[in-house]
Amino acid sequence: MNKWIEKGLRTGVVTTPYPKGRDEAAGISPGLPDAGAEVQDDNNTIASRCPTDALQPTDGPIKVDQRRCIHCFRCVRNAGEPFPWDSGFEWASLMSEASVFPPSFRRSLHIRVIDAGDCGACLNEVKLLNNPYYNMHRLGFFITPTPRQADVLLVIGPVADHMKIPLLKAYEAMPDPKRVMAVGVCALSGGVFRSGFIVGSGVSDLIPVDVEVPGCPPPPLAILHGLLVLAGRSEPHQFIEPANPVEGGVR
Amino acid sequence: MGIGLWLLIGFVLYGLGIAAVLTVPSKMCRSMLAGFGVAGSLALLPAGFDALFRAHSFRAALWSIFNAGTITITADHLAGFFLIVTALVALPSSIFAAGQLQTHPIRHPKALSALYLALLIAIPLVIIAADIYLFLIAWESMSIIVYLIITSSERERSAYLMLAIGELGTLSVLIALLLMSGDHGSLTFSALKSNGSNLGIGLRWTVFLLSFFGFGIKAGLIPFNFWLPRAYTNAPSPAIPLIAGATLNLGLYGIIRINAGLLPHPPIGAGVMVLIIGSATALIGILYATIEDDLKTLLAHSSIENAGIITTALGAGFIFLATGHHTLAAMAFVAALYHLLNHSVFKTLLFMGSGAVEGAAGTRSLDRLGGLLKRMPYTGLFVLVAVLSISAMPPFNGFVSEWLTLQALLRSVVLSSFSIKIAFVTAGVGLALTAGLAVTCFVRAFAMGFLGIARSEAISRAHDASKAVLTPMVFLAAVCLLLGVLPTTVIPMLDRVVVPITGASGTGALVPNFFTPNETGSRLPSDFVAQFHNLGAQIGRNVIPGPGLVVLHRGGTANPVVFAMSTSYMFIMLLFLLAVSGGVVALVVSRRRKVERRRQWDGGVRDLLPEMTYTATGFAQPVRVIFEAILRPQVVEHRETLTEYFRIAIRRRRDEVYLIDRLVLNPVSAATAWISDGLARMHNGRVNAYAGYVLLALLLLLVIASFG
Repeated sequence: MNKWIEKGLRTGVVTTPYPKGRDEAAGISPGLPDAGAEVQDDNNTIASRCPTDALQPTDGPIKVDQRRCIHCFRCVRNAGEPFPWDSGFEWASLMSEASVFPPSFRRSLHIRVIDAGDCGACLNEVKLLNNPYYNMHRLGFFITPTPRQADVLLVIGPVADHMKIPLLKAYEAMPDPKRVMAVGVCALSGGVFRSGFIVGSGVSDLIPVDVEVPGCPPPPLAILHGLLVLAGRSEPHQFIEPANPVEGGVR
Repeated sequence: MGIGLWLLIGFVLYGLGIAAVLTVPSKMCRSMLAGFGVAGSLALLPAGFDALFRAHSFRAALWSIFNAGTITITADHLAGFFLIVTALVALPSSIFAAGQLQTHPIRHPKALSALYLALLIAIPLVIIAADIYLFLIAWESMSIIVYLIITSSERERSAYLMLAIGELGTLSVLIALLLMSGDHGSLTFSALKSNGSNLGIGLRWTVFLLSFFGFGIKAGLIPFNFWLPRAYTNAPSPAIPLIAGATLNLGLYGIIRINAGLLPHPPIGAGVMVLIIGSATALIGILYATIEDDLKTLLAHSSIENAGIITTALGAGFIFLATGHHTLAAMAFVAALYHLLNHSVFKTLLFMGSGAVEGAAGTRSLDRLGGLLKRMPYTGLFVLVAVLSISAMPPFNGFVSEWLTLQALLRSVVLSSFSIKIAFVTAGVGLALTAGLAVTCFVRAFAMGFLGIARSEAISRAHDASKAVLTPMVFLAAVCLLLGVLPTTVIPMLDRVVVPITGASGTGALVPNFFTPNETGSRLPSDFVAQFHNLGAQIGRNVIPGPGLVVLHRGGTANPVVFAMSTSYMFIMLLFLLAVSGGVVALVVSRRRKVERRRQWDGGVRDLLPEMTYTATGFAQPVRVIFEAILRPQVVEHRETLTEYFRIAIRRRRDEVYLIDRLVLNPVSAATAWISDGLARMHNGRVNAYAGYVLLALLLLLVIASFG
């Protein structure tokens, strides 16, 4: 045991400086296409490279839908003119001001994670929140096994048919006030599955979503940002209107 | 009125009861049973108290038998104590039996009622018998009546087993008694007693072994208790509280009567034997109770456990007696008798609870029960009291006696012999493990039976038992609490039984009177008294008459208090804390707040089936795994294969054969079968062979005769 103490003292603090400072470690985020970029795409050359319709051609500049981007980098790599890239991670967007928890919840939230059919990537990132680098406990966030004690329902995955009942039951079982956090593009829009034959097109089909964290998967700091936004301790990336049903229709 | 009159009234009432239940129409038979049972027990109760509190034991010669002496009865303090216990059990049990007969009619209610009242006559007769004749007659009628009660509803082999093994016990007791009587010819107990001190050491050991194992069969001690779980499981539910609460005691009564009354104290080795057998019985009993699924069988195994605890305390008492520590012996005997009293009360209550549950839910299997507390709140409450008592939770009665037993075992430090100390430590460890397992066992029994969700249709339609069933349960639950919070009143009463046995008083060692700091007397250092006073142990000195409220054992000047506790103050404190916390909760809850009721969280499964919830088998699984070496389960695997390669189901069944069955009953029955096989081969039906046997026998006789 004395070796642990010695090693720990020698290693020092490794936890990320976020949210007090800026985390500029290499590879901390894959980044997303810059939503604010005004890129003209006359011949539909850039938008056509996007496999998930995250870049939609319009009459004006390209419309960027971050809820669909899977960071495939096709719009950046080997493109004639690389699409402007947002390499940060503070992407969480809020439905409305009312989605933020009341002030008494500022210091601590309990989270119930529901894996509604994800591929494992988002789950991995959620798991990383517990490790010494991200260490979400220092910010007062805790994972709880029962929805009865949870404030936040953190949903990942596109909501497979068989997870609909458990998801609804868990939402039902949570005491008010409760917030739903959709993490990863699958949970936001169905992602690469997009209303496949056994999956829905995101959480908002079933239960109202309060905060959305895009990314495929979103880096742990993005999830952390989402939680901080819910607790009212950080500013959201943007306010968004409730998600529209994805093109292609909902079954 | 004297004790003789009370006894006479009791017996006459019971006898009238038998006549009444047999003559009145079937419908009224229940009320006759309850009425005469209660009236008779109410007469027995003052008889018992009278016997306990009179200075000289009551003795009466009834009539003489030609050439054999007189039939006599006697009621000393010991008999008085057992009369009280019997009456305390019989009083509520009679009402319960009537209530059960009302809601759950059986085939022969009249026969059962008559047998029930006859058992109520036989049990006090065993206790007051003062000569071998009456004792054996009462003992045998008791055994036979219990046998008839068990067979009255269903013809069960378990009853035959009980009768057969009970007869073995009676036989060995009879031999022991006759050995004690020697060649004097008088068969009264007083003659046995005067003869007892003249016995040689070898004869004393023989008498001890025969009587201990003979009575041990009735008390459910190892190695002859395999009949008990079977018989209790098959006994009809109206009668089982009485059988479990009163007849089990008689075995222990016999052990105490012979080894601590008639004989001078047994040799020290015998004490060690009692100690070890007692703790082993307790451990094996509770182990099988913890893994048992059937509620009634569970309680039967728990009876074995409690008999073991009582026997352990008795063994400690015998050893202290043989080594000359009379005060400690008195303490151990007080612990044993206290636990005997407690066990009778809470086990009767538990069997009533199991009867009520079986009646309402239609099953006794813990895996099938569940969720009964919502349907049967009162039954649940009283069973909870009994469960807390038997798990030795303060302030209920089981705590006091188990605590005293363990403390008595810990006092083995005063002994000089190292090997006996080891025996004490082993027994103490066994009892500690027993106490822990008992909590597991009864948490499981209560939680799986009464909490959770209903596991069957019948349970969701169940409702609380009738008043006739609940009233006796209230009574016994109240007795549980009273015996728990007033140990300082109960111990002096028990002490009256113990003083003639040990020659020393346990009261002086256990229950100090209230005292003031100024009048210290000579026995206590004054600074200790001051400290004791400052601790608050004197509260109520001016209000409460009689002894103090603290059970306290004094040591020397170095350690003035060896052990001390007070369930009375604990109870008062508990009430106070409950009131305070209740007030706080009421204050907080009474604020206006929104209350929402939502469905229980079931882990998100599509349908929560009752089978999916935590079962009793699952709860006991850790115990099963830990004690696998003792339980030796046989796993039978059954594979169902649809076609050659497609397996559709694998079923695994664990069969746990009772340890005593495995070690004693099965080998004996196998040996018997082997011998009778051999005999059967001799009887082959050929005349020549039989002629040969005759010739052979003749030849053998001639040879013996010629040499002799």
